[in-house]
Amino acid sequence: MELRWYHFAAWAAFVVFMFLMPEMVSKGTLRIFIFANFLAVFAISWDVLSGRTGYVSFGHPFLIGIGAYTTAILTKRFDVPVELSIPIAVIVTMIAGLLVVLPALRIKGSYFALITLAYMELIYQLVQVIRPDLTGGTRGMSGLPTLTRGAVNGYYMSLTLMVIVAFCVWLLMRTRIGTALSAIGMNEEAVKGSGLSVTRLKLFAFLLSALIAGLGGAFYVHYLGSIAPRALFDINFVFTIIVAALIGGASTTIGPIIGAFFLTFLLEYLRPYLPGAERYFIYGGVALLLYMYQPKGIYEIINQGWSKVRARS
Amino acid sequence: MTQILIQGLLLSGLYALIAMGFTLIFSVGRILNLAYGAYLLIGGYTYFYFAQTLGMPKIAGVLLAAILGCTMGILKFKLLVKPLKGDHVAVEISSLILAVVLQAGVVLMFGDSSKILLPIIPGVERIAGAAVPYSNLFAAVASWVILIALYFFVRKTHTGRAMQAVSMDPKGAAISGIDADRINMITWGISGTLGAVAGVFFASYTQLYPGMWVAPLIIAVAVVIVGGIGSIIGTLIVAHIIGFMEVMTSAFIAPELRGVMTMALIIGVLILRPKGLFGREEL
Repeated sequence: MELRWYHFAAWAAFVVFMFLMPEMVSKGTLRIFIFANFLAVFAISWDVLSGRTGYVSFGHPFLIGIGAYTTAILTKRFDVPVELSIPIAVIVTMIAGLLVVLPALRIKGSYFALITLAYMELIYQLVQVIRPDLTGGTRGMSGLPTLTRGAVNGYYMSLTLMVIVAFCVWLLMRTRIGTALSAIGMNEEAVKGSGLSVTRLKLFAFLLSALIAGLGGAFYVHYLGSIAPRALFDINFVFTIIVAALIGGASTTIGPIIGAFFLTFLLEYLRPYLPGAERYFIYGGVALLLYMYQPKGIYEIINQGWSKVRARS
Repeated sequence: MTQILIQGLLLSGLYALIAMGFTLIFSVGRILNLAYGAYLLIGGYTYFYFAQTLGMPKIAGVLLAAILGCTMGILKFKLLVKPLKGDHVAVEISSLILAVVLQAGVVLMFGDSSKILLPIIPGVERIAGAAVPYSNLFAAVASWVILIALYFFVRKTHTGRAMQAVSMDPKGAAISGIDADRINMITWGISGTLGAVAGVFFASYTQLYPGMWVAPLIIAVAVVIVGGIGSIIGTLIVAHIIGFMEVMTSAFIAPELRGVMTMALIIGVLILRPKGLFGREEL
């Protein structure tokens, strides 16, 4: 698929706009943006795997958590510098990604979704039981080294990470590999029939997804400075990632970003009215209605609206 | 030893009941109902509200929970499964969203803190040194009664056979004049009822809190995967395998590891034998 100059112009405009954001909004809003950026990274990671190839993963926190825990343990217990621990965390996450590929070679559909859920529960329980002196057990760890200080720096870090990930994924998905991955989602047999190695393509998608998840998880932990198993391996977290990708528009790159920002801000604006977990009642309701209305997400709704406007003028 | 045997039997009966409603939907509709755990949640809280807060008779609490569960199952089929027209991934994802919404709804109405359910039947029996609360015993016996009734319903009655037919081959069933929509609706209703009743027992076995639906969902998933789809007997056997494995793990190795063994079993079975131990040859 060819690249046009206006694609790059759109990217440049987006990046410039986002980088000017600290001038326009308050520090409090900026902190919301930081979470939206991280959620966008996780949603892109989920989308590379599940949105494109159709192998729905309900256990994405498994990968994110492995990245996060690896760097947390390395920096906290072994005094490894952050510059070294993050790359190691990414590599470990990719190895863990291989564990998830293993079942995907034989099973698909609902069974695959189930097994990823099982992976997440397994790691959640293992983390609390095995070597609590390393993992911090049920209470997790705090006082980890943070990469940045202050909302503005944190924003720039998270934004840079998100933009780099999104741009690389976008470029990659415009190549033949990206097309092949989407083709797996449509008809795996046909891809096999075209003489492509489905196994190798799946392996690639899983490793790429694990790479992004590990990267996102590691940076997230060094932004927060703490880690807790209950918040990480949580069904609400899975829910937020999946819904962000789907509401925005699965199997596009811009979709998960839109979804992440939409959901994060929705959640924040509900905070004054509903302070606790009951926010998810409205949040989930909105997500459910949007999803039932248009399973292809906001991106598709905008697209259709845009073509209607163009047809009229 | 006797203690392990008794505890294993009690826990397994409960697990079989939890898994049964989930298996039904999975075999007939081929749909992974991730909102199934939410039926247990709703069932437990309905019982709590009517029987404990309002002080109605306990049997009325269980019945109301069952009715509400049945209604929710049917409503879910009508409003969610049918409009999505058998797109399995979409149904599964919207089920997950629905479960989170229901959980938040429970938090909204009852608050975040956990509640203790009073035992359905108070009192403890001592059998060979093992303390057996009457309510656990009652839960196990009730599970067995419900399971046997369900088995005969599916095997012997006309509706039950129609359910089997739809589960095996929807097209063939349609040719024989079976209204698949009606059968599906009945199945969702039964599944919701079973889930809500299992929720009352499960909540009295552990405790009542908004996040309680995840653990039974995982157990149901484990039983269905390991047992294979479309097999009531398989579900029963595997519920006992998992129940006994958990009791033995917490007795001989470490109580914290009981969940780990279950997860390891699921992953192992799915990798080595994707059809489950007793499943039909399909997929």
